[in-house]
Amino acid sequence: MIEHNARRRAVAFRSIWATVGVVGLAATLVGCGTEAPESAEGGTEAPESAEGTTISFWQYYGDTTMPQGVPLYDFIKRYEDSHEGVNVDVRYIPYDDFYRTVIQSAAAGDAPDITLVNSLDTTSLAQAGLIQDLSDRVDEWGEKDAYFPGIWETTQYDGATYGIPHLADAYGIYYNKTLLDDAGLTPPKTWDEMEKTAAELSVDGRHGLAASGIEGVEGSTPLIIRTLAEGAEPTELDSAAGATALDSFQGMVDSGALSEGFLTWIEDDVASQFGTGEAAMMLNSATYISILREQYPDLDWSVSLLPEGSESRTTWLAAENLTISASSEYGDEAWDLITFMQDPDELAVYLPARNKLPARNDVPDETGDPVRATFSEQLEDSWAPTGDMAPVANEVFTLVQSALQQKLSGGDTDKVLKDVQAKIDEAISG
Amino acid sequence: MSTRAENRAAAAHHKVAAARRFPNEALLLVPAVIFVVATVVYPLLYNISQSFFDIGIAEIVSGAGKWVGFENYADQLQRPEFWAALGISVSYTAATVVLSVIVALLLAQLFQLNIPGRDYMRALILLAWIIPTVISANVWRWLLDGSYGLLNGMLRMFGIIDGDVFWLGEPVTAFIAVVAASVWTFAPLGMILLTAGLQSIPHSLYEAAMVDGASRWQRFLNITVPALKPVLYTTAFLLFIYTFKTFDTIFLMTGGGPGGATKILPVYAYEQAFIFFKFGKAAVATTILLVIPTVLSILYFHSIKKEERS
Repeated sequence: MIEHNARRRAVAFRSIWATVGVVGLAATLVGCGTEAPESAEGGTEAPESAEGTTISFWQYYGDTTMPQGVPLYDFIKRYEDSHEGVNVDVRYIPYDDFYRTVIQSAAAGDAPDITLVNSLDTTSLAQAGLIQDLSDRVDEWGEKDAYFPGIWETTQYDGATYGIPHLADAYGIYYNKTLLDDAGLTPPKTWDEMEKTAAELSVDGRHGLAASGIEGVEGSTPLIIRTLAEGAEPTELDSAAGATALDSFQGMVDSGALSEGFLTWIEDDVASQFGTGEAAMMLNSATYISILREQYPDLDWSVSLLPEGSESRTTWLAAENLTISASSEYGDEAWDLITFMQDPDELAVYLPARNKLPARNDVPDETGDPVRATFSEQLEDSWAPTGDMAPVANEVFTLVQSALQQKLSGGDTDKVLKDVQAKIDEAISG
Repeated sequence: MSTRAENRAAAAHHKVAAARRFPNEALLLVPAVIFVVATVVYPLLYNISQSFFDIGIAEIVSGAGKWVGFENYADQLQRPEFWAALGISVSYTAATVVLSVIVALLLAQLFQLNIPGRDYMRALILLAWIIPTVISANVWRWLLDGSYGLLNGMLRMFGIIDGDVFWLGEPVTAFIAVVAASVWTFAPLGMILLTAGLQSIPHSLYEAAMVDGASRWQRFLNITVPALKPVLYTTAFLLFIYTFKTFDTIFLMTGGGPGGATKILPVYAYEQAFIFFKFGKAAVATTILLVIPTVLSILYFHSIKKEERS
């Protein structure tokens, strides 16, 4: 009898879990579904309110509680305060979910009026017809020439303009003044000097240089910058420049100048390494200026331009553009907001708070901050993907990182470059 | 009226009532069916259909992709990266499920003992399952960092290692690390399921075995394991489903690296769809992700039914 009951319980138990199993399976498969994070300010729609027009603005910087988000909300508040009858519904979506949400919303006919788009992805969205051709508005506006050409280029697709640069970011070398002074060293001006200086600074369990080399687009930055310095673009990896660049990183890892752990670090980790003195220098963007100042107030540091290779000291340009959705009914209002956000005097307030750089050359820098001045100078020598590469830039950059990974895992430089180049060529040719 | 006639009348009445009830009962099912079709069946079919189209962003928005038949499959199935991702998915899932079940069984057995603070400890361990992955995966990343990670700090303290060891920077250790992080997350769930199973085993069986002089190990082997078998299978099956679809733990810990060593199929599909915008090709990967658990589910339910019949 007891056995019978036990068996019945076991069967009942099995049935319950069998049911849970089915639900679990269903959840698995719908897991890649269409959930979208809630708006930081409530709604997700862009309704026409009783008081006027509401335009929707989607971005991936941050919400009102995050340091990267606050300046944007303040900026938009200034617009709303000075433009009666227009409300802006700002929605924050984390970057990893951003394009998925934007694309799904567009497919559902519910795209936002304004979308903040990474310069790398602007061409893809333009090619897909998701965003408006702004060429006529730009001609009428007449401020195109104020933009740095490299940045402006990222808004172009098929001879037309699909976005207005919002801000830019450049990479530079942050250096720990105390550590360099103590060692009697100065910030390296060339990559040869970098290799030596970083090696000399690698003592006491510390590394001379830190950079992000993690799998994917983010970790491709060091190799892109190093290849550009030798005069080749990332699409020309199988070249003398690519070989020099790869061998340079291998050399720095071998000498201890660069920790092999850099292949596991995102840029935030790199900033922590630098902030805590684990690394004497770091290759990173202007994003970290105030983070370092706030989190490591005692750290004595500054920034220098990127080291020069045999050809240049070009930074890869990180920039974002503001775009208007093809389906937006509020094109005029959206355009008005976008151009307001490019007013040089407004940018002079916004950009220092955001740790970013202007995409145009007429923004007064009243901060008197030498670090910002260095980044601005670096920005003048910048590169961003254009032409055939632009729509597949993410794929190419992911492949570039894989070259670094393969080389540092013991791969032969020539073979690694050949293999990766073949994949890059395939990505570009479609 | 005779009793027999009364019974016949009652039976006829029940039949009529049942017939009258039937359409209403079927109607009651409609909302559930609509819900399941809209949220499960439609997305699944949509996903499968996408794998037969050449779909970029434009096509996904307009809904008008170019029909390419099995071209996406042909393309993906000849790619070593795809097979690598599938292979890694299978080995990651197998390792995680086996280890999770073992750890879960050990934990469940441990908490059968009457140790002080047992309930609190069980609740604490369950936290690993409850904590959002975005937090736990990042904690794991910090723990395992080569320079400032806690693990290396401890290993250095005990003189086991000297310099920095980058656990997430080497293919083998990165794979072990993501399996460990997943076991840490899933084992508590298994523990709860197995605890319920253990509690349903009658004590009298153990008592009888003890009277017969069976050792602790013999009791475990001859009573616990056979009685727990159905629950063990269910637990393993559930953990298989959870693990096979895992995305966030690995995406956050390694991004699929180093060099693709932890790039499981869901991460591969995410990369194809939302970084490279190749939705048709990603759909091939997600269809495979759908087919494998489905086939295993069918086999599983089939075996359950067979067992119940026997």
